[in-house]
Amino acid sequence: MNALKLHRILEQNTGLLIFGILFISSIGGLVQILPSLNDETLSTPTMNTRVYDAVELTGRDIYIREGCHVCHSQQIRPLVAEVERYGPYSRSGEFVYDRPFLWGSKRTGPDLHRIGGKYSDQWHETHLLNPRAVVPESIMPAYPWLSERPASAAGDIQRKMQVLQSMGHPYSPEDINNAEAALQGLTEMEALIRYLQMLGTSFDASQADAPMEGM
Amino acid sequence: MQKANFFYPLFRPGLIFTEIAKGNAFSSPALAFMLPVLLILPPLFLWLGTGMFGWRLGSASPLYMENTVRLIISLSYFGALCIGFFGTVYIAQWMGSTYGVKKSSRAYFSLLTVVFFPITVASIAHIYPNGFFNVLILLPTLIWCMSLLYRGLPVALEIPPERGMLMSTSLVGWLLVGAVSILGISVGLWTVGIGPSIAV
Amino acid sequence: MSQSNQEIYHDAVVKRLIQFSVFWVIIAMGAGVYLAAEFIWPTIDFGQFWLSFGRLRPVHTNGIIFGFGVSALMATAFYSVQRTSHVPLFMPKLAWFCCYAWQLLVILGAISLLAGWTSSKEYAELEWPFDIAIAIIWVCFGVVFFGTIATRRIRPIYISNWFYGGLIIVIAMLHIVNNLAIPVTFGKSYSLYAGAQDAIVQWWYGHNAVGFLLTGGFLGMLYYFLPKHSEQPIWSYRLSVISFWAFTYSYIWAGPHHLHYNSIPEWVQSLGMVMSLILLAPSWATMINGIMTVSKAWQKLRVDPALKFIVLSLAFYGLATFEGPMMAIRSVNVVSHFTDWTIGHVHSGALGWNAMITYGTFYFLVPKLVGQPLHSIRLANIHFWLALSGTILYILSMWAGGVSQGLMWLSVDDYGQLSFSFREIMASMTSYYGLRLIAGLIFFIGTILMAWNLGMTMRGRNTVPVTPPPVPEKFRLDRKAGKDETTIAPGVPAA
Repeated sequence: MNALKLHRILEQNTGLLIFGILFISSIGGLVQILPSLNDETLSTPTMNTRVYDAVELTGRDIYIREGCHVCHSQQIRPLVAEVERYGPYSRSGEFVYDRPFLWGSKRTGPDLHRIGGKYSDQWHETHLLNPRAVVPESIMPAYPWLSERPASAAGDIQRKMQVLQSMGHPYSPEDINNAEAALQGLTEMEALIRYLQMLGTSFDASQADAPMEGM
Repeated sequence: MQKANFFYPLFRPGLIFTEIAKGNAFSSPALAFMLPVLLILPPLFLWLGTGMFGWRLGSASPLYMENTVRLIISLSYFGALCIGFFGTVYIAQWMGSTYGVKKSSRAYFSLLTVVFFPITVASIAHIYPNGFFNVLILLPTLIWCMSLLYRGLPVALEIPPERGMLMSTSLVGWLLVGAVSILGISVGLWTVGIGPSIAV
Repeated sequence: MSQSNQEIYHDAVVKRLIQFSVFWVIIAMGAGVYLAAEFIWPTIDFGQFWLSFGRLRPVHTNGIIFGFGVSALMATAFYSVQRTSHVPLFMPKLAWFCCYAWQLLVILGAISLLAGWTSSKEYAELEWPFDIAIAIIWVCFGVVFFGTIATRRIRPIYISNWFYGGLIIVIAMLHIVNNLAIPVTFGKSYSLYAGAQDAIVQWWYGHNAVGFLLTGGFLGMLYYFLPKHSEQPIWSYRLSVISFWAFTYSYIWAGPHHLHYNSIPEWVQSLGMVMSLILLAPSWATMINGIMTVSKAWQKLRVDPALKFIVLSLAFYGLATFEGPMMAIRSVNVVSHFTDWTIGHVHSGALGWNAMITYGTFYFLVPKLVGQPLHSIRLANIHFWLALSGTILYILSMWAGGVSQGLMWLSVDDYGQLSFSFREIMASMTSYYGLRLIAGLIFFIGTILMAWNLGMTMRGRNTVPVTPPPVPEKFRLDRKAGKDETTIAPGVPAA
């Protein structure tokens, strides 16, 4: 067979084999990833989506540090039951300031994308300190250390905002200058709750761009 | 074998495999009686159970279904079992040539009947169709069936134990794929609206 | 002949890597069992941040993939590339560097994960300093591996080396692209991609890390050790050529099936689904190739528990590569996504395929390396049954649990109201989690038996020196002479 003969050349030459593997394996990525990275609709914020302020950003990084995304998704799929359970389905434009994305791959606990405003701050605090105090059947770990640490200890907030600004997040110089002051006196617990309370609130159903598709 | 009574495979499997090999166990009429009974047991239990206790997923309140839905589910369960069983016999015979089996299809039918016997009897758990209760009963039984397969196959089909081990593993592979296909097909059916009502 | 007299294969590094690999599987699987227990008794983290589920879970996954998996892959790649090239390792000191630097990386990485340094991206959780270290060690691995191939004395490059080569090249590409980020501090960086785009890039990585490391890499192991061990040539050489290229081409497309119904363009999802289905063909081609190869060597099984593991791993490989494409179908995925079914699927691959083929390979390789029969064949046989029943129990409990979970999430009553609250559904899972814990324990006990068995076999013994055998005239590669076309008999791993 001719193709097999051709292949014989390939399999006798290290450089050609390396190049062949690299070439063949990159095609799929090029076709899928490059158009997605250039897809404007994926990087255009919805009308009410805004950057995280200093406290919310700190809270988000604590959320990442504790691995909340391991058990909680932040992605409401456009399914009837899911919308009924959690709220309006997630739009790509809501995530444009999410670095990294936190959609998750497992729902051991419920989805959190629209958790903001559903419970009081006090509820969240009790829940994070002892989940079973408010949800008896919960299997969530407790996070007692969050209320002991100052929010300002969770990383250099000004540097964080500068890095994000360099990637196009619209922070003003005042935002960055006032960042440290904003964290003054807050615990990590409070910062995390601030983040949870703003989750999903940037989407206003009345301004929904399109009705739900027939999914 | 005159003593090949109905529950024999449950209590004396070791003996019955050698009898299968000799061609003594299970005459064709005996198989013709036994197979339909075994295949109809699980769907029958399910039909009874869903009627008496309702479908219980986890700790939640039971889900009662209309009679026609129950019937459709039980019938398609029966269909799946038939396809599964006869498919397995067919696949086993197809594999047999690779592993040097020289037996008639009766030996295959008898062997697999014995292997699946415990699980069909254990399907009496369907009478109380609580998800976890069934898993708890059926899973250990399934592992029992698997050990019957590994033990019995080389004896009943008269091949060396090593080849029997290879063939049993191939069959386990096939059965796992078959099981996951059933899972996938039922989930797909639910999504298009056949089965329990879900909102997608 | 004269040139080979002084040379011996560098096998000490192989032995050391196997020891590290076994060490990691114990640690990471132990962590897994502990995590499984946390699902039932959530307070057993005792308020310690480093035992908290969210921090311990990446240690489990990274420990298995990078500690156990990569160490085993490096060991077997170093072992087989020397034998298929008839030449000792290229730059053996660099190979030793890879061996120790990698272990240091995994240890420090695990500590950093417990300390909360994480990028949050699955299987790429390690922060940027570790990402750079991985890239450097990976390049060294590549230099040793491809250097050995480039200095080979036999003309054809054997098939197992293509898979190992694919592992090295593609993982390097995926790793670098996915981990691009701007550092803030040592333990924190922000991804170069945001939101939906980040998700697409991450699952292109995440899916193919599974593809080229846990599937492709271990297929390299299969393609060398199965024929070697069963003393049979690969059943069909042509099938292995076709399946390699089809595998390499199509796997890379399938990532978006992790994002069905998520906020990414629909064409990306559909493309991912179609390519996932196509992927079944090359995956099963390889399985058939393996099964047919071993079916001719059945006599070997009599004395050999190692081959049993390899045979069983093929059955689970067949299951996992079938289940994967099936779960990539949108109407199945809609129920299975976010549920424990996914966890079951991962473990049918990780326990059934990766662990089993590695165990089989170790049972074969370790006695060969130290020139001593396995300490206890009986113990290995017991391990086989523990591994089989543990895996089956794990998979089936997660199937049952996952499907009922997915069904209940979407279930509505006659009025279109949700039938179950999330709490009810979560509470109903506890019993399945209990079964899973038992399954994990069974498997873990088997693994400990193996560690002891291999340890006793290796104890106090050095590797047996092996000299490269001469290459038959017609396959010989004379570097000074031109590239004349010769007939080769492919599909046979060289001595």
